[in-house]
Amino acid sequence: MILFVAVLLPVIGAAWCALPRSHAAAPYVNAAAVSTSFLLTLWIAAHTAATGHVVAIAGWVSVDAFAAILMLGIAAVACSASIYSIGYIGHLHAPPRRVRAYYANLALFIVSMLAISVCVEPGLVWIAVELTTLLSVLLVSFVDTREALEAAWKYMVITLLGATVAVLGVLVLFWSQHVAGGTSFTYAGLAADAHRMNPILVAAAFALLLIGFGAKIGLFPMHTWLPDAHSQAPAPVCAMLSGVETSAILYVLLRLMPLFRAIPSVHASTWFAIFGTASLVAAALLIVQTHDLKRLFAFSTVEHMGVIVLGASIGTLSGNLAVVWQILVHGLTKSLCFYAAGAVALVAGTTEFAKVRGLQRHAPLVGTILLVGSLAIAGAPPFAVFLSELAIALAAISVGQVWLAAVLLAFVGIAFAGTIAKVAGMMLGRENEGLHVHPAPGVVRGVLVACAIPVLILGLWIPAGLGNLFTQAAAQVTLP
Amino acid sequence: MTIAQSLGLNILQLVFVVLLAPVFSGIVARWRENVQFKRGPSIWQPYRDLRKLLSKEDRYSESATWVARFAPYAVCLSPMLVTLLIPVLTSFPLFGAFAGDMLAAGFILAIGSFFLTVAAVDTGIPYGAMGASRTRMVGFLAEPVLIVILFAVSFVANSTIPYIVQQQWVQPPAHFFSPAHVLVLVAFLMLIIAETGRLPVDNPSGHFELAMVDESKVLDFSGPSYALVKWGSSMKSVVLYVIFVNVLLAPWGLAGTPNALALGEAIAVVFVKILVLLALLIAVEASLAKLRLFRIAEYLGAAFVVAVTAMIAAVLAP
Amino acid sequence: MSNYHAFEPEINALICGFFVLSAFGMVVIRQIGACLTVFIVQSLLLAASAFVLGAEPLSWHLIAVGCVTLLSKPILIPYVLRRLVPREIYTVREISQALDVPTSLLVALGLALIGFALGTRLVGAAPLLAKQNVIVGFASLLIGALVLAVRREAVPQMLGILAMENAAFLAGIAIAPDFPLIAELAIAFDVPLLAFIVSILTRAVYRRVGSTAVGELAALREHPQ
Repeated sequence: MILFVAVLLPVIGAAWCALPRSHAAAPYVNAAAVSTSFLLTLWIAAHTAATGHVVAIAGWVSVDAFAAILMLGIAAVACSASIYSIGYIGHLHAPPRRVRAYYANLALFIVSMLAISVCVEPGLVWIAVELTTLLSVLLVSFVDTREALEAAWKYMVITLLGATVAVLGVLVLFWSQHVAGGTSFTYAGLAADAHRMNPILVAAAFALLLIGFGAKIGLFPMHTWLPDAHSQAPAPVCAMLSGVETSAILYVLLRLMPLFRAIPSVHASTWFAIFGTASLVAAALLIVQTHDLKRLFAFSTVEHMGVIVLGASIGTLSGNLAVVWQILVHGLTKSLCFYAAGAVALVAGTTEFAKVRGLQRHAPLVGTILLVGSLAIAGAPPFAVFLSELAIALAAISVGQVWLAAVLLAFVGIAFAGTIAKVAGMMLGRENEGLHVHPAPGVVRGVLVACAIPVLILGLWIPAGLGNLFTQAAAQVTLP
Repeated sequence: MTIAQSLGLNILQLVFVVLLAPVFSGIVARWRENVQFKRGPSIWQPYRDLRKLLSKEDRYSESATWVARFAPYAVCLSPMLVTLLIPVLTSFPLFGAFAGDMLAAGFILAIGSFFLTVAAVDTGIPYGAMGASRTRMVGFLAEPVLIVILFAVSFVANSTIPYIVQQQWVQPPAHFFSPAHVLVLVAFLMLIIAETGRLPVDNPSGHFELAMVDESKVLDFSGPSYALVKWGSSMKSVVLYVIFVNVLLAPWGLAGTPNALALGEAIAVVFVKILVLLALLIAVEASLAKLRLFRIAEYLGAAFVVAVTAMIAAVLAP
Repeated sequence: MSNYHAFEPEINALICGFFVLSAFGMVVIRQIGACLTVFIVQSLLLAASAFVLGAEPLSWHLIAVGCVTLLSKPILIPYVLRRLVPREIYTVREISQALDVPTSLLVALGLALIGFALGTRLVGAAPLLAKQNVIVGFASLLIGALVLAVRREAVPQMLGILAMENAAFLAGIAIAPDFPLIAELAIAFDVPLLAFIVSILTRAVYRRVGSTAVGELAALREHPQ
């Protein structure tokens, strides 16, 4: 029951927006509803850490450790994004009709994201995934410029194409279990029936799901839409898309990994390693060339998805622990980065590297947070991302895949250098002639500071309950 | 059945096609006017035209060689040869049944068109050469469609002999609805439209030389040779109609035994089947506009795809 | 009706044959309105296949899928598209394509053969009553993806996505006839929502850019000119 309440609570925000003349209060209603949902998620996570799971409808809707971690990440970013929107969208001076549409859409988008984490039946999960696309398209095109519309269209077409391929994958998966006589069509049920299933059918399902969901995760070469969509959307939406949407879809693939890995002829690990490495390499090289702060962070998302997929290909318990860890901390850190980038856009009017200089002097708070976020996302110690990337490299070495670790470290290094060099230029340097600087809204500054705290803390200290969740989650996606 | 009987029936088929070909042309001409709420010429008009032309003098342009003189005979003879190979009236094989298969029928018809095309260039008028190049374009594109249709047919029937093929579609009756069959029908219908020069590929009633595809080749023929060309083309159309309704559609209504009653009945039924097909073609024609010349490639490309789909369906038959 | 059972596989095969033809049709047909008609026909074929497969042995599940398909795809989607997308774009005859029609037809044929090969392998791995559905489904899925690649107009691109969805479900009704709930929900809920969202976006593009040739929007890249 509490699962349904937690997931569906943001609908209140959407319903409020349906009322006439609701635009003034809509941001606050939405933020309140999503924050309550976040608090409930905290309770669910705590309960899961203690008892192992929370079940609403067995076989359809339930939460275990990994799902709780994902849900926690989604709810946390959704909460901060809703609050950040108050300052950010309010600052854009959009007409009331569009503001209402924005908040209604955002609330429903959050619901669809949370639904991914609580559903355990792949068919339902697919519906939730499709809904995340459909409900976020109009958020991407919110600013209604030519570029934003182009980005929204590309985003929609490529990810819907992926979803259509994925639905066939889900159907083939069901078929392969059905032929094998299995009945429980859930993540756990599929893993239990793995040894009985026909390898060819499972391989086909794997290929379809990897291509279909891979398009939505932004794996190379299906990543082309990602920098466009994740840079054109309003900052809070970027934070949701980059921080948690991509990893939520990746979560679905990771949940199915025990099934795929149980059948050696599927070569799931090999394909994960190939796609992960390709995404990492491509993204690192693109980061070096990019000209815009938001695009840089978008490419960084491709890079991180590559790292996670690469880490998942290792398959040991320590590797999976790092993967699960990175899913959460990437969400928190990347959302911070996009909030900072949004603040830069509010402060300076643009996010292009060539046009913004000397931010440190004019907007010290925004500048500092931007630097912290960039260091954290690029993988500098002592931040949390550093831990997980190091752990993945060590896990790769421990199973003898030294070259994998070498590629990982080399290209993460390149991405690090590219990110820091570009952001440092924006921070320091002499300010441009024509740059007019406005102060950032108070809500925006508050969210920036609040979101920076967990990013700092999680690199140094992990609460015991959270650590317990992580060990359980890693065990769930590891073959015994 | 004796050889003589078999040969006799074969000749009866030939007579059926040769004598009735002009009346089908007349019916098409009249119906085409009727759908536009005009009265149209009598259906016997083609016979009168033939009589008038045959009583005239043959004239050839000064540059013409023997090709132009021989072409009308080739045009006229090739469909007559094909008639010997296909089941026009009977569902059992006749004297010429195994002399050639459907591929041979296609090639023999192509000989006629080949001579007509060369003759059109031979006469030396510019429209002739233009029409020749255009028909060749259509022909080049139509050929692969025909070949693939034959592939599909042979996958189903393991044969391309028309008498054997026609039995396959109805044994058992459920086969009539098999996708291979229906798609072959669609593809062949599209092919007939292109080969007989109808809308949307060509406008047979157009009088504007620059826009003609088929008709401009025969502008320079006169007298008896023009009569032969006209007669030959209408026979070719009838042969294609017969292949469609008897070989590819279903052998329904054909004579199963060589007695006079059954044959009389078959003549009537085949006549009606062709009439129905003509009505369908007129309906298609009435509802479409002529394609631009270079769009014809797309039209025949579509026919090709239909034929390939039929072939794949034949391979994957349930 | 003693012959009924003998006819059933043939009828289903025929439906599948026309289904793949309609997929080709979406590649070649130029006018947007005609594309929409082809899509409607294709959806009707999908519903028909669901009814034929659901009739023997009787499966209420498949019949429900057929009914929902019948309601949402051939009726609701064209209604939404006609209603929300600016009428001007339906009158455009020569729409912009990335490849000319004969070339894209040949590519489509190649993709269809690949799809047939893939589908046949899968069906070989697990015997199935309605194997044509899977084979044709795979082929049509690939052809639908080609539609997305060669079309530059908004509405045909979206019809390409919907055609892919049709193809996936054509395979789905054969391989997962008792798939719990998903097919109905997806068709009844996701697909109209998809049409709605796409229409709104198309309208916004038309208002902002002046045409719906979304394939020609190419401002976003790494090195802006």
